[in-house]
Amino acid sequence: MRVPLGWLSEWIDLPERPEELAERLTFAGLEIESIERSGADLSALRVGQVQSCEPHPNADRLSLCTVDLGSGEPVAIVCGAPNVAAGQRVAVASPGTTLPDGTRLKKTKIRGVASHGMICSERELGLGPGEEGILVLPEGAPLGAPLPEVLPSRDTVLDVEITPNRGDWASLLGIAREVRAHYGGALRLPECQAREDGLPASGDVEIAIEVPEDCFRYLGRVVRGVRLGPSPDWLAAKLESAGLRAINVVVDVTNLVMLEFGQPLHAFDLATLRGRQVRVRRARPDEKLATLDGQMRELGPEDLVIADAERPIAVAGVIGGAETEVRDETTEVLLECAHFHPTRVRKTARRLGLHSDAAYRFERGVDPLGLERAVDRAAGLLAELAGGSVARGTVEARGAAFPHQDELLLEPDHVNRLLGTELSAEEVVELLARVDVEARGGLGGRLRCSIPSYRNDLEIPVDLVEEVARTFGYDRIPQTLPAAPLATPAQPPRHLLELEVRDSLRASGLLEMRVFPAGPADDADGLRLPPDDPRRRSLVLQNPLLGDFAHMYTSLVPSLLRAVRHNLAHQVERVPLFQVARHFRPGGEGELPHEPPVAAGALTTGDHPGLWHAKAPLLFQVKGIVERLLVDLGRTAEFRPECDESWLHPGAACSVWLGSKRLGALGELHPAVAEHFEIDAPCAVFELDLEPLLAEPPPVPRYREISRQPAVRRDIAVLVDRDRPAGQLLEALRRTGGKHLMSVELFDRYEGKGVPEGKLSLAFRLVLQRPDRALTDAEISKLIDRLSQLLVRRFGAEFR
Amino acid sequence: MAPGRSDLAGLEKQARREIGAAETPQALVEVRARYLGRKGSISGLLRSIGALEPEARARVGQEVNAARDRVEAWAGERDAVLREGRRERQLRDHRLDATLPGAAQSPGRLHALTHVERHMFEFFHGLGFSIEEGPEVETDWHNFGALNFPDDHPARDMQDTFFFEGGQLLRTHTSPVQIRAMTGRQPPLRFIAPGKVYRPDLDATHYPMFHQIEGFMVDEQVTFADLKGVLHAFARHVFGPETRLRFRAHFFPFTEPSAEMDFSWGDSWLEWGGCGMIHPNVLANCGIDPERYQGFAFGMGIDRTAMDRYGLANISLLFSEDVRILGQI
Repeated sequence: MRVPLGWLSEWIDLPERPEELAERLTFAGLEIESIERSGADLSALRVGQVQSCEPHPNADRLSLCTVDLGSGEPVAIVCGAPNVAAGQRVAVASPGTTLPDGTRLKKTKIRGVASHGMICSERELGLGPGEEGILVLPEGAPLGAPLPEVLPSRDTVLDVEITPNRGDWASLLGIAREVRAHYGGALRLPECQAREDGLPASGDVEIAIEVPEDCFRYLGRVVRGVRLGPSPDWLAAKLESAGLRAINVVVDVTNLVMLEFGQPLHAFDLATLRGRQVRVRRARPDEKLATLDGQMRELGPEDLVIADAERPIAVAGVIGGAETEVRDETTEVLLECAHFHPTRVRKTARRLGLHSDAAYRFERGVDPLGLERAVDRAAGLLAELAGGSVARGTVEARGAAFPHQDELLLEPDHVNRLLGTELSAEEVVELLARVDVEARGGLGGRLRCSIPSYRNDLEIPVDLVEEVARTFGYDRIPQTLPAAPLATPAQPPRHLLELEVRDSLRASGLLEMRVFPAGPADDADGLRLPPDDPRRRSLVLQNPLLGDFAHMYTSLVPSLLRAVRHNLAHQVERVPLFQVARHFRPGGEGELPHEPPVAAGALTTGDHPGLWHAKAPLLFQVKGIVERLLVDLGRTAEFRPECDESWLHPGAACSVWLGSKRLGALGELHPAVAEHFEIDAPCAVFELDLEPLLAEPPPVPRYREISRQPAVRRDIAVLVDRDRPAGQLLEALRRTGGKHLMSVELFDRYEGKGVPEGKLSLAFRLVLQRPDRALTDAEISKLIDRLSQLLVRRFGAEFR
Repeated sequence: MAPGRSDLAGLEKQARREIGAAETPQALVEVRARYLGRKGSISGLLRSIGALEPEARARVGQEVNAARDRVEAWAGERDAVLREGRRERQLRDHRLDATLPGAAQSPGRLHALTHVERHMFEFFHGLGFSIEEGPEVETDWHNFGALNFPDDHPARDMQDTFFFEGGQLLRTHTSPVQIRAMTGRQPPLRFIAPGKVYRPDLDATHYPMFHQIEGFMVDEQVTFADLKGVLHAFARHVFGPETRLRFRAHFFPFTEPSAEMDFSWGDSWLEWGGCGMIHPNVLANCGIDPERYQGFAFGMGIDRTAMDRYGLANISLLFSEDVRILGQI
């Protein structure tokens, strides 16, 4: 909300510096987002009147003016603006004045005629682009006055952010009260009296509230003999300074009073009301109303409307109807000043997407005791500015009583207990008085606090504690550290697991990324997921912001593949990425989704193997990362060549298992998936569900006595069929090697020259050792023989 | 038979020749073993002394011991020469270009926010705050209702929300974790809740996903002054020991009194987050007696902290997928 300080200062005395005021209010919770000023210091410029305006003797487009600056000695000024005319009040810069653009004016001759200054345009004054020609000031602007004094609309303006609990702040009155709470002083309210005249208003219109729970009160006044026209300059300027556009005197007066008191008003052309009736009722099914903004609104039983005898004429508290609005022919005006239920107004305003100034205030609540004042102020102004006369009396109807907490009991000690302060009861009373809360001593030291009618946010005692804190000043509350018993802080296993996973993947050379967890609908097709795959079911955002990225991830793979594509497209060939995030697996009806922790990564290496590294196939690079991850987590996982993930290359993938639980899969990307995600480089991916790891903690490794006996190394090299998975041989050696086989390693794998067609050479290194004594030659030969026989028998291995 | 002098002299001479001929330390070890080892020939002579006449024993023993010491000394000298030569060769022949890059794998990187989060955990862990996590898809009750946001109240406009069909939503703040952590527990309670939160908002300083850390403490005598003290200490942990903190009154439905806090950053103040004393309705909604217990809660965005630390002008850089960016921050 825009609060022009010049206007505010009519209501209450302000501190000199706007910055000081802004800071104080901000600390009290009335946040000043910015202070706007007219750009430059215009105090050296003066108001002048053009006394005469003749064509320049030597130039067609110039005028020679005499300008009175109030000194009694008019000066001659040459002016080039087409709109300059005798009688105008204008902004004059005399010689010696510096204009906002830095130009310093001198007495000069223009085409042979002396010019003592300059008549300025809006643009020259830095007041905006301005219209063609000079700035013409209001007729009443005093001659010789400094320009800023007559430019109220160029006043310093506070841009105020109002928290939703403080509807009362949405008015000049509310801001003035807050200023008073911090600086003291007396409020100066404008004249709020309407001189009544003629027949009573009750003969003109009859009010009825049909839904008392939706409308607490409906108060009307009738103003007769109104002549519609533009508002006087001061009124238009005030509205403009607050960010509203002047329309006509009737509408402008209702807006002015709304800005002043926070009470929205509406003006109907009384002659257009059928049956001379106003009914506050719900809209009937399929009722329509053409509203002021030129739209046809479809209404329903959830919407509260103002109707005449036949049809809706306004959406209550939101916007008026076009057919009953005041127009040039209007002579009789019905001023509506009502108190609608905040929720009812809010629902309709939201449904219609119509966040009008009126709806804004009704939603936050208006002062139930402020209606008379507002309607009288508006009626009085109309009589004064539009030549009307105010009909005798008001018309009104009342609905349900407005629920308001009139009194609260507060223990002064409650304040100190909550804030950690040491305020006396007297101090508390004084601090509350600043915000119009009158506190008196009551039973048992409790204060009986009466709550002003405009404070609908003070409902329980702790609300008063905040008022005390605000007026006392948050920065004056002491600063302490809490006394609390020592306790062992809990760290959820999931949290610790995610820490370890991130550390391991980072140590493997991957970069962590975090992305918004939703993707487009065709991700599931992109991954070639089968029709019955549960990952095809996802939660869908109703109001996505990022294009069609509405489907909450059930796999992190698409987001990684998009990242890979992005990098490749930007000539980054080596893309090592990982994420630790969640899947969102839809739950049953009414249940929240399941959100297991997931780790996933993608890897491309580019063509360049690097200076020292022989390049392993991508599958083994990514497998190495996952192997290391599981070792870091203290787990023994199994990698099975059976892997049915549709997004992986069937010939270069494996699944990862922890006992009987499948953790996920890894491998090189399926060519069709690569094509869908436009990835034109070899790419490997892994995705692991971390949840099974949470089922039980990893076994704590137990120390095994190291042997002091000599270890014996033996190598075995065999030929097997080319299709034979080497892992099977490795596994068989491990399982049957017995307790003296310390380790088995596959250290060479070769096919090609020297190896028969269709065969593969595998070489294993075995390390043997006993804890108690050296192995004898006989023991060693026996073990090696047994293992060799095993390879021959079970895998058809041949020794070279 | 006892050895004669000539035997000893011959042996000694032969040993000296062989020691001189040994070209490697390994060969020298073998030569030494032949003469001086347990089964070596000079050692053998010493063992045979026992067969001599007592008067000859001492004399021959002395001679053999002296010969053994000499051989031992020659072997030692030769060994030093051989080792010296080997060292020299090693030093001469092994020459690498040390300006070549190291063979370590290219380094990975934790996300900037991971660093910031961990730095923050340290502080609260030290103060005995437990960590609590909650779902990112939430119910209206946990995200709003239980936190004292009335239905159809303008307070709900404070946080634009992503919705799913059926009314579930992406949590707009970490405060629902308060509800989950307090429900079913009784004070004293001390928790922090870090996590991702979501609001449909996109510009240089807003991204539809961002990160908060929530903290709260409930006991019988926890005060607003305590809140100020804890946050001030936290601010100094995060931003440095000179950091100042200031509190502005504000409105949140779930705290009363409520405040926003700013921290000093150079000559300016930057908005940090919101805080306050937990609203009695919120405690009651979690089954905690607000007549007996009171507590504070606070929450702050941590993305901004990461942006300040790494000099990021636009929040979306944090959520980049670009390796050239992720490799830096």
